[in-house]
Amino acid sequence: MQNPYIPYPVEVIKIVTEVDTKDIKTFRFAFVNKEDEEKFKYIPGQFGELSIFGKGESPIGIASSPTQPGYVEFTVQKAGVVTSALHEMEEGTRMGLRGPMGNSWPIEFLEGKNIVIVGGGFAFTTLRSLINYMIYGDNRKRFGKITVVYGARNPGLLIYKEELEAWGQRDDIDLNVTVDKGDSTWKGREGFVPTVCREVAPSSENAVTVICGPPIMIRFTLPVFFDLGFSKENIITSLEMRMKCGIGKCGRCNVGSKYVCKDGPVFSLAELDKLTKEY
Amino acid sequence: MEKRLIKKDALTGIIGKIAADTTVYAPVKVEDNVLFKVLEKGDEPLVTLANSKNAPKNFFFPRTEVMLRYTRTTKGMEFSGGEKEAGEAVLFGVRPCDARSFVLLDMLFDQEKYKDPYYIDKRQKTTIVSLACAHPPYATCFCTSVDGNPVSSAGADILLVDLGSDYLAEIITAKGEKLLKYFGDVKADAAADQKKEAIAAQAEKEIKVQIPAKAIKPILDVNFEHPFWNTIHQKCLACGTCTYLCPTCHCFDISDEMKYGDGRRLRNWDSCMFPTFTKETSGHNPRPSQKERWRQRAMHKFKYYVDNFNAIACVGCGRCVMYCPVNIDIRKIVEDISKL
Repeated sequence: MQNPYIPYPVEVIKIVTEVDTKDIKTFRFAFVNKEDEEKFKYIPGQFGELSIFGKGESPIGIASSPTQPGYVEFTVQKAGVVTSALHEMEEGTRMGLRGPMGNSWPIEFLEGKNIVIVGGGFAFTTLRSLINYMIYGDNRKRFGKITVVYGARNPGLLIYKEELEAWGQRDDIDLNVTVDKGDSTWKGREGFVPTVCREVAPSSENAVTVICGPPIMIRFTLPVFFDLGFSKENIITSLEMRMKCGIGKCGRCNVGSKYVCKDGPVFSLAELDKLTKEY
Repeated sequence: MEKRLIKKDALTGIIGKIAADTTVYAPVKVEDNVLFKVLEKGDEPLVTLANSKNAPKNFFFPRTEVMLRYTRTTKGMEFSGGEKEAGEAVLFGVRPCDARSFVLLDMLFDQEKYKDPYYIDKRQKTTIVSLACAHPPYATCFCTSVDGNPVSSAGADILLVDLGSDYLAEIITAKGEKLLKYFGDVKADAAADQKKEAIAAQAEKEIKVQIPAKAIKPILDVNFEHPFWNTIHQKCLACGTCTYLCPTCHCFDISDEMKYGDGRRLRNWDSCMFPTFTKETSGHNPRPSQKERWRQRAMHKFKYYVDNFNAIACVGCGRCVMYCPVNIDIRKIVEDISKL
């Protein structure tokens, strides 16, 4: 029996500081044992438990795409005991990783449809995984038009800046990056994510929107998509709850009878409507 | 199914013989409490207990358990070993309510996709000898309201029924079969079966409390926001006694501890009654007051578990009723919910 509580040993092979405030970094891990990478076969939207012996574990969405073999990436904000320890780490350090956990973005459901990705702030990590998955090689043909609306409070807080640049060069993504308030060097769009969504006005025809962001952004963005004619089945999001085990046993991340760790974290708005609002 | 009759005064001798060959956990008197502990040479197990204060879930799901160990190396902290596997053991003197709790815990810890190796290892290696309640011991017993029965063999490998001058030993499972040799060679006859039936019928009658536990699920389905939830938690101290004594409560925390470069990761019982149980690093807490926590406890037992496993997560042992310091009574809560 594979013990799901014992993490795979991984090595930090690259650290990127994503934001000016330096409290969000992307960590790239390589598996110490090559065969573990095969066991950690994941789909965009899943998460892993970052495991630091002596500190604890933290459930974090996977930011890389399965189309990027050889490593797995997590973008982490420094917040508690584990993530603070992580932020102190240097390349070459060893730690642990459990997973992959949870369901995923519903790839099969998304296939053949126009996809509207909406992300706010640092909740863009598993969306980045999804975008990189969809635009990789022949995968691109399996999806219709891809529209991305991504916003942060200011230019210094945008993550994955190089990738945003690269996606902007492509003609098969409609990329809309916005900041709440620009600075002297900012030449891009200004405006809150819900407003920009209304301006971009993606068609709801054969379309699904995948939304991740702070609760306040989601609250004001949903009405925009209702107005555009998106049904609740076609609005997908991902939940976060405090977690420990990650496999539906420790009993704390349930919303109604669903465990966010194993039945989620991805739910459609139609599914969320059937659950209690305890998250 | 093999059945044996053993003389009443032979039982402690039989347990002693089993204990000479393998580890036996049995109820013993410790100061004012009846607790399960490893039977050592010279220890007398209690065979006339009411029930133990703690639920015996501790033997498969210890209140603290090492999950893994690690040590500091030049490359950082590295895994240095899992927990050692459990040995074979016999858990003697489990009451039918508590034995049934193992069936309920199996549903959670031994699922098809996500298996809990720590629980399963101990569970598989332990043989459970149940002691039927010929006379249900407490006024707080309500097993018959939650699909249990004072003479039920659910969860047991061997069931012992007190027939007056003898015990009827029913070997329920293949695991129980391995202990058959200790139970002598007097086969039980039809008269013993009849006696057992009569005792079972009488025992069932002696349980005075009936609560509509099975009827409230559809009410809970539609009353998450009912003002009733503002009432039940008012006197709760959030001490967690109910969840720690509960045979089916399974929530746990995982924590790390280190000393001089060596460390271990532990799992400890946790409780949905505690304010920090769901509190996130950001400070956000989806269950911010005792109201939401009590709603979670009631919902988990009588709705969520039913949704997920088609079983109520309560065995009617009555411990939470008996030991709640402020007399919150789950039977009353169920009763009240049934009237919403």
